[in-house]
Amino acid sequence: METFDRAYFKKLAHQIMFDLSDQEIDELQEEFKVLVSQMELLEKIDTDGVEPMIYPFEAETSYIREDKVTHVLSAEAALRNAADVREGHILVPKVVK
Amino acid sequence: MRITDYKKQKPAENAKDALAKAKALQPVLNAVVTFYEDTKQQADAADAKAEGLLRGVPIALKDNVSTKDVRTTASSRILDNYVPVYDAAITEKLRDAGAIFIAKASMDELGMGGTNLNAYTGKVNNPWDVTRISGGSSGGSAALVASGVVPMAIGTDTGDSVRKPAAYCGVIGMKPTYGRISRYGIIPYASSLDHVGFFTRCVEDAAVTLQVLAGRDDRDLTSSFEPVLDYSNHLDDRIEGKRIAILDNVQNAVKDEESLKQFDTLMKSLRAKGAVIEHITLRNDLMQALLPTYSILANAEATANHSNLDGIRFGMREPGASVEEVMINSRTKGFSPAVRKRFVTGSYSLFVENQDRLFRKAQKVRRLIVQELEKALQNYDAVIACAAGSIAPHAEDTSEEKLSQTYLVAENHMLLGNFSGYPSITVPLGFVGGMPIGVSLTAKPFEEQQLLNIAAAIEKETGLADQTAEVKA
Repeated sequence: METFDRAYFKKLAHQIMFDLSDQEIDELQEEFKVLVSQMELLEKIDTDGVEPMIYPFEAETSYIREDKVTHVLSAEAALRNAADVREGHILVPKVVK
Repeated sequence: MRITDYKKQKPAENAKDALAKAKALQPVLNAVVTFYEDTKQQADAADAKAEGLLRGVPIALKDNVSTKDVRTTASSRILDNYVPVYDAAITEKLRDAGAIFIAKASMDELGMGGTNLNAYTGKVNNPWDVTRISGGSSGGSAALVASGVVPMAIGTDTGDSVRKPAAYCGVIGMKPTYGRISRYGIIPYASSLDHVGFFTRCVEDAAVTLQVLAGRDDRDLTSSFEPVLDYSNHLDDRIEGKRIAILDNVQNAVKDEESLKQFDTLMKSLRAKGAVIEHITLRNDLMQALLPTYSILANAEATANHSNLDGIRFGMREPGASVEEVMINSRTKGFSPAVRKRFVTGSYSLFVENQDRLFRKAQKVRRLIVQELEKALQNYDAVIACAAGSIAPHAEDTSEEKLSQTYLVAENHMLLGNFSGYPSITVPLGFVGGMPIGVSLTAKPFEEQQLLNIAAAIEKETGLADQTAEVKA
């Protein structure tokens, strides 16, 4: 079982690309105590032979659509919400140093 | 006023009045993120239409519904400057039906919450008592309908986010079957649980709204091919012979005596009208597992869904020396602590070493829960229970003992509708201490007509159709 120390939560947060303050980690440590207790309720349930349920219904609703162009966004529209655009591209800090 | 009443009036007057009321109440309710500026043009367009189920009717949209050229923030700082370049499927449908959009309504950030305390623009106040919460995550929409600003507002429901605020605000809140309404263009929370829903002040308006919104959309791959019915013309409030099951797990977990008394009175009157009312109990270990199962699945799906919110292609961008630093800074500042903590929980259950123990386990428990509900509904037209364990609390009273039966079951049983995808509705039941309470009904998949008919019978018994809260501006 994990120790849920500060470094553990920092690592979890960095893996999904954000940071946590010390206060937020303190709160998370408390919340994880409740979460672990709640998850124990789950662990007590016998699920041997039960298939995971991913979506509510298993009736087929998706298919490969006809190869026709529909609902096209223009390049201008696609770039309209980016913070920094130059010559039709989104500008970010230099990647190759 | 009902939708039919609005349709008799001039669209321009409807738009003007609704917008003025929304603006006047904004300092009191704080229900709106963005007001529409083109309501006059929308009204003119509606006026030019020969017909339309919502012709000239002012409505509000939850702020996670994509609206071309109108800011859509999902009440998150990271999307504070985001202006969609396309419309959601339901935005198109509502406009085609002649609706006039007057406001984008506040919500818990990205749909993640049940209080509407976690919105970038702050708490939404309950129209019946502004010191109390509206509930969430569709709290702004619920408050706008309850206060009489609009007759209908759109919400979304991932874990009771339409039905709980509806109960707290004394209005109808409906979430139809998963796949019944397209989610194309809705900023997601958890894709396997997300539903589009709506608020109205009477069942008749709910039937009209469902008719407008329902139907197959190829752009949402979970959208159903089931035919759409003429729900309003088939509305029938005769309850005789309907088989309704009281969900005793919930009723035994509700501690408020007055709520239980009013619920029992309603059951007696439905029985007197010829309904067959019986009691059922689902496996309590599964009922207690609703919330933990939800926490795992919803947070894991949300973590994956929101990985595209990084400030690079859209949204608020924070400076950084590298792309990674830009993303980390944008996401740290862009999400509230509450949302970041949920993402950590989601990421935790998706770790390779935790996937079987937590994520897959939750998916298996979900199947058992749904099988239990399916079995119960085999003998009944609907399952009924108190929608919530209490009236809308004050902001400081929203954290309860997280392992109590009251919290796990009474406050979270409406997750059954999200796990199963079955249609579910909240209908006003009465008042406790001046605050509204509601009942929750759930029916078999795609039996929305049945659900609406039973809701109409309940509405007839309670006499609470069309009620609005008098809010002083």
